[in-house]
Amino acid sequence: MRPPARGRGGRGGRFDGGGRGGGGRGFGGGRGGGRGGDRGGRGGRTPRGGRGGRGGRGGGMKGGSKVVVEPHKHAGVFIAKAKEDALCTKNMVPGESVYGEKRVSVQNEDGTKVEYRVWNPFRSKLAAAVLGGVDNIWIAPGTRVLYLGAASGTTVSHVSDIVGPNGLVYAVEFSHRSGRDLVNMAKKRTNVIPIIEDARHPARYRMLVGMVDVIFSDVAQPDQARILALNASYFLKNGGHFVISIKANCIDSTMPAEHVFAAEVEKLKADQFKPAEQVTLEPFERDHACVVGGYRMPKKQKTTS
Amino acid sequence: MSSLRNAIPRRAHKERAQPEARKKFGLLEKHKDYIVRAKAYHLKEATIAKLREKAAFRNPDEFYFKMINSRTVGGVHRPKPEANKHTEEELLLLKNKDTGYLFQSVQSEKKKIERLSSTLHELDNKRPNKHVYFAEDREEAKEIQSRIGQSSDMPSFDNIPSRIKKKTASSYRELEERKQRLHKLEKLYAEMALQKELKKPGRKRKLREDETVNQTSQPVYKWRAQRKR
Repeated sequence: MRPPARGRGGRGGRFDGGGRGGGGRGFGGGRGGGRGGDRGGRGGRTPRGGRGGRGGRGGGMKGGSKVVVEPHKHAGVFIAKAKEDALCTKNMVPGESVYGEKRVSVQNEDGTKVEYRVWNPFRSKLAAAVLGGVDNIWIAPGTRVLYLGAASGTTVSHVSDIVGPNGLVYAVEFSHRSGRDLVNMAKKRTNVIPIIEDARHPARYRMLVGMVDVIFSDVAQPDQARILALNASYFLKNGGHFVISIKANCIDSTMPAEHVFAAEVEKLKADQFKPAEQVTLEPFERDHACVVGGYRMPKKQKTTS
Repeated sequence: MSSLRNAIPRRAHKERAQPEARKKFGLLEKHKDYIVRAKAYHLKEATIAKLREKAAFRNPDEFYFKMINSRTVGGVHRPKPEANKHTEEELLLLKNKDTGYLFQSVQSEKKKIERLSSTLHELDNKRPNKHVYFAEDREEAKEIQSRIGQSSDMPSFDNIPSRIKKKTASSYRELEERKQRLHKLEKLYAEMALQKELKKPGRKRKLREDETVNQTSQPVYKWRAQRKR
């Protein structure tokens, strides 16, 4: 700061601060600012340099990838370990998220990139069942799946990832509103066939659907066992499999969940289904169960006895 | 003549810096820095002298309202507390704003937890769910039982680099911290909401513990039924 106000006599002396500010701002203030800036710069440079160094170290570890992806025991399902610790499926349409889920990219040794989509078990009962440790989901690469109760197609997109380009997913949804999202999703996935129809009347879409290996049912209706049986009688091959998700509240909210599941399993048995296992979807959904089994299974030969 | 002198290139003037040995005193002070410092010093000096003078010439019989409105506690000046600065309505409004802010934080925290937990599936932990197998006969049941014993549920991750492990762990830690924070926020919000309700008109009383229908640790209030017209 130059002291200009002094020269202007008594007035300048009295309004020392103000005088300096007014008279000297053009020059002295500017210089002072410059000095201050310099000082600030010196202060600021230190962390900047530090950040640069850190960045350099970050660039140095490009040899190791930031994520490890390993196959799950179910074919087509993977586990990604990174910042995430998540179930995922290989994305059929790289670069696209269906419902805003996270994507994980992995670079192979030969430079090709593979993208995986994180499968949210809070939104998908099939994912919850897989995490619940179900032994078989029967949905594997190359299978044909009839999916009842597809909703907006969040799980359907993952099923389509699992079955891959050789498989096929028929996704049945009654509601037009969520059916719209389903159709939009199916536009980008060639192995998904959206059907906007009532799953109670499989005769209406029998022309569209061929024989399938697996039926997945997530309709949450009181008569869902009947719906499944009806569809199975039309489309499921003998010795095919079913996966049904049961929401206890939707069937009978007065009975305890365990009883509801048992009753549903009995109903299924009456319709030529052979349930093999049942998992509850505990940390992800309350009072839900997933039952997996076969349909018109061949009789066991009693050779040993 | 001077223009000729200017034509010859001169050595650049280098400003002296603080020697390394005196680094701890900060940047080397220059004359213009000294001027600023000295002026500030003298200004303070003058102010103190002025106050001294005032104190010396103080009339002890004179009355000031500040004598009533403020006081010193241990030599520290304390203005009179403004108890009724805000009216009742203003206070209520302020509290409403606080609850609103809390509610917003609760919502945002919930969203963040949802986002985190959508990618953190706790794959290594044991699940609390139930797994039931259906067997037709005793033989099949035995077979299933032996199968369960053999198979390990999750694929083993042996060769995860430690940096990835660290990242995963830190994600889980963040999730846990956020959950705790949400719990605290929700509690605080419930408390404030209760206070707000209690401010409302109507006769009410706190129920004793044996009067409550559903046992909770929280206080329970009951309003007297008022006929609505």
